[in-house]
Amino acid sequence: MGDVELAQQTSSQLHRGLRVAVLLTASGTALVLGMINLTRRLDRYDLPVVQFAAYAALAAVLAVEAVLVVRDRPWRGWRVPAVALVLAAAAASYLTVPGGRIHVDWMFGAANWVGLAVLLDRPLRTVVAFLCAHELLAFLNLALLYEINRYSLAGFATGSVTVIGLPLCVAVVAGVLGRISEEAAAAARELERVRTEEAVAVAAHRRRAQRFAEVSETAAPLLEGLADGSLVPSDPDVQSRCAVEAARMRRLFAETDEVENPLLHELRHCADIADRKGVEVELDARGRWPSPPVVVRRDLTDVALTVLATAGSWARVTVVGGDDLVSVSVVADCGELTVPEPATPGVRVETVSGGGTTWMEARWQPSPS
Amino acid sequence: MAAEPELITAVIVDDHVAIAAGVRYWCEQADPPIRLIDAGARLADVWTGPGAEADVVVFDLELVPGQPQFGELRRLVDSGRRVVVYSQHADDATAIKCIDIGALAYLTKREGPHHLVPALRAAARGMPYTAPSLSGAIVADTAPDRPRLSPREIEVLRSWFASSSKELVAAKLHIGVKTVDTHITRARVKYANAGRAASTKSELVSRALDDGFITIAELNER
Repeated sequence: MGDVELAQQTSSQLHRGLRVAVLLTASGTALVLGMINLTRRLDRYDLPVVQFAAYAALAAVLAVEAVLVVRDRPWRGWRVPAVALVLAAAAASYLTVPGGRIHVDWMFGAANWVGLAVLLDRPLRTVVAFLCAHELLAFLNLALLYEINRYSLAGFATGSVTVIGLPLCVAVVAGVLGRISEEAAAAARELERVRTEEAVAVAAHRRRAQRFAEVSETAAPLLEGLADGSLVPSDPDVQSRCAVEAARMRRLFAETDEVENPLLHELRHCADIADRKGVEVELDARGRWPSPPVVVRRDLTDVALTVLATAGSWARVTVVGGDDLVSVSVVADCGELTVPEPATPGVRVETVSGGGTTWMEARWQPSPS
Repeated sequence: MAAEPELITAVIVDDHVAIAAGVRYWCEQADPPIRLIDAGARLADVWTGPGAEADVVVFDLELVPGQPQFGELRRLVDSGRRVVVYSQHADDATAIKCIDIGALAYLTKREGPHHLVPALRAAARGMPYTAPSLSGAIVADTAPDRPRLSPREIEVLRSWFASSSKELVAAKLHIGVKTVDTHITRARVKYANAGRAASTKSELVSRALDDGFITIAELNER
């Protein structure tokens, strides 16, 4: 997750910085410069109270934006009313501007910055639409209420260039920034996905190679023998070796299953092989035990699968476990067997035979740790 | 057929016809045979008629599936009947609870004539019989108030559970078959006379049941 998180964090930090910068610019233009211009020419306004009301509206929007910036929240549903308020304030202000000198009015420069502060995290087209709406509002005001001549039009156009240009530049930068951070996040996600896939593939390959090595030691010679005819399938010894290998493979497949009690799960798979040959297998477990590591489980189940592979007609597999001892026993009607040598030192195997019945027990004592 | 004095009579309470028929076959094949009365699922037939005279009661703990009838078992034991519980149930707590209540033997239905017939004979003499499944349940018992068993007793019980053959247990532990029996019996006696508050508590509980203070359902939740 590291890269994606970092990319998201970087992008949100950039956005926040830009938002603060726009808020400061808007406040400077609308509140500080606006107040200076407003008070300097106060005597020329017919209705100063309307100007102050418009000023208060912009100040209110900026105050809300300031609170939102501090709390790091977006505008959500309040965005549209806020933009409407800005445009309404501008309209009210322009209606009471004396002599149609909108392009030098305090509101003409201020409204766009305040609007941009509200719309900064929206797509570029929204900002452009707002800027156009404001420009149109001002122009209609000029065109409808006052006489248009070359000088007034030139003055309006000159004023508009800076008033629209600067906020537009900032909006474009914000858009580009947003796209770059989105791409960066997507790239980081992709990189992470590829890395994860690779790690999974490497682990899976290692596991397969290891499993193959484990099976090849015993199964491969058997298969080779059967293939070149040196081993005859009708030989009971070969049959029992095949049964043992089949059970080993089943156990190998079962080892990777996610189950609550892996030892019992693997024993069930071993028992299933015997069950298929028509041996009546009874599996009974008592107690609770800590799950033994794979190598220990193999030692414990090896006994069971060896006996089960050679059982004649019935077998009883039992597990008794506790915190200090796990014992796997198999009793079956089979002859003498070679005891598989346990690979782990903590496992002991014992065999008792009598009256055509063989009982093998493998016990594991978890070392206290 | 007139009952001879040495002939053991057993009554079976089990709602599965196949089980009753199977047990009847095993009893007939036993040497000497055991006379079996089939009470079906009717507990009343254990208390009245020929069932009331039977030496041993073979009791299916779950006449109603999912609701082991410990209350009925308690009533039978309290009135001096010799009960062999023959249950579908294989969980350790149930087995130990039955022994606690006073059943002479607890067998799961997987345990066939090799264990049921000796259990019936032992019960007819008023002696307990410990089947491998019960043996396993005792070994796996981790209740804090469980009776203290010696390591040898635990070893014998575990081996008996695993091999289900006393000869194999004897051969493995290098002891005689009689000694194996002695260890099993000794461990079993400790469980029967565990000194747990069970004996008085059982009376208390069955009285509370009779008086309707608690229900069987509440009892089973414990």
